[in-house]
Amino acid sequence: MLPEFTLSRPADIDEVLRELNADVVPYAGGTELLLAMKMGLLVPSGLVDLKRIPALREISASESAIVIGAGATHDEVARHELIQAHAPLLVQVEQNVGNARVRSQGTIGGNLCFAEPRSDLLALLAAFDATVLLRSVRGDRTLAMAEFVLGPYWTDRAEDELLVSVAIPRPCPTGAYVKLQVTERPTVGVAAVRTAAGRCRVVVGSVTEVPLVVAGASWDDIDADGIVAQVEPVSDIAGSAEYKKHITGVYVRRAVALARDGAV
Amino acid sequence: MSSATGSAAGSTSEIATTVNGAAYRGSVANRTTLAAYLRDELGLKGTKVSCELQVCGVCSVLVDGRPVSSCTYLAADIDGRTVETVEGLATGERMHELQRAFVRNFALQCGFCTPGFLMMSKALLERNPDPTEDEIREYLDGNICRCTGYQPIIAAVLEAAAELRGVGVD
Ligand SMILES: Cc1cc2nc3c(=O)[nH]c(=O)nc-3n(C[C@H](O)[C@H](O)[C@H](O)COP(=O)(O)OP(=O)(O)OC[C@H]3O[C@@H](n4cnc5c(N)ncnc54)[C@H](O)[C@@H]3O)c2cc1C
Repeated sequence: MLPEFTLSRPADIDEVLRELNADVVPYAGGTELLLAMKMGLLVPSGLVDLKRIPALREISASESAIVIGAGATHDEVARHELIQAHAPLLVQVEQNVGNARVRSQGTIGGNLCFAEPRSDLLALLAAFDATVLLRSVRGDRTLAMAEFVLGPYWTDRAEDELLVSVAIPRPCPTGAYVKLQVTERPTVGVAAVRTAAGRCRVVVGSVTEVPLVVAGASWDDIDADGIVAQVEPVSDIAGSAEYKKHITGVYVRRAVALARDGAV
Repeated sequence: MSSATGSAAGSTSEIATTVNGAAYRGSVANRTTLAAYLRDELGLKGTKVSCELQVCGVCSVLVDGRPVSSCTYLAADIDGRTVETVEGLATGERMHELQRAFVRNFALQCGFCTPGFLMMSKALLERNPDPTEDEIREYLDGNICRCTGYQPIIAAVLEAAAELRGVGVD
């Protein structure tokens, strides 16, 4: 059973910013927030619904970046023509988040702000060199993914800040993303992309507390064993630490092999 | 201040909604889930609740045509929106093509997961009237059935899809 709370439905971003504080929090798809509230892990006194703010769901492209509104759902991102045209790897990843209900309820912003380590988007967007735009009544801040995601369930977002959008620099890198997912959340997810500058970048997510980024001039520079030595998984229902280390190596090699062949 | 419709200083919200074609208006506690609203306020018990983690799929309903887990969705959020549940599938005495295909294919035994499978299948066919078997498996992989082994469900959805496209069987 959910605890009691107030609920407001502002019509624009400025209204949201006036309401946010430590106790009154943004509420998007609720796929994480409502669960955490049911379990008593989060007990905000008020929720500010972001779903009725069209500006927060917009997806647009400029010369230099693809900009995705924080309130866009996984399904909306996957089906958007700009994303399909410029970031096919993101389409593929969004189509495989959770299940069809999580994709139609859950938002990209909620995924990033909750910072559950077992997230496909934390890893992929780090591989894309994406930045996040945070806004409060005090002003705007733009952060790189590594500056934003500080640890499990921990971001640099202040309590009065709203994540407005995510920007992916153009041209968006191509490559591959592979994951092992036996429970609801990924156990390990690996992105391997070639950046616009021609660098080879591998990002390991879900198995680590925050995404691990490794780069080199060529795919031969990516040392799978070296990456395995760096990850420190915990044993849980999805597998022992030893097993997770093993599959991390397997998935790094797979992602690199696919990216080498030029997959999306 | 916030927009008139939803703004509530207290712990309730005013809603005006359409469920299975019928209009409802009233006040709901903010903490009421859509599943509880449908079952306890409207008496629509076809929608089931089980895992409450958005994993099993028995609580699936459609809001503005999109599938949601009604166990983890606020009733307050259906304000101004349209809800479809399993009770809305049939037209009078005539069952929906999906329901008839489920019966023909023995796509249910105990029936507990069936409303969820039917609503997810409806959402799928509305966006993709001619899905492949793989696409059906993919879309329904967030719904759990412990009786059928899934094969009859896939067969039923394929058959209903064909029928709805006018290339039907029976
Ligand atoms: C069954 C299941 C399977 C899943 N599988 C996957 C998976 O395979 N891969 C994956 O990556 N993820 C997975 N997820 C996680 C899913 O992606 C997230 O649940 C979803 O995207 C979160 O978005 P939301 O809109 O529901 O966030 P909410 O639950 O509404 O919010 C989450 C948190 O973020 C805050 N917040 C939300 N929006 C903003 C904003 N714009 N600015 C500031 N703060 C904000 C909220 O205050 C809250 O603390 C799964 C979840 C479930 C339940």
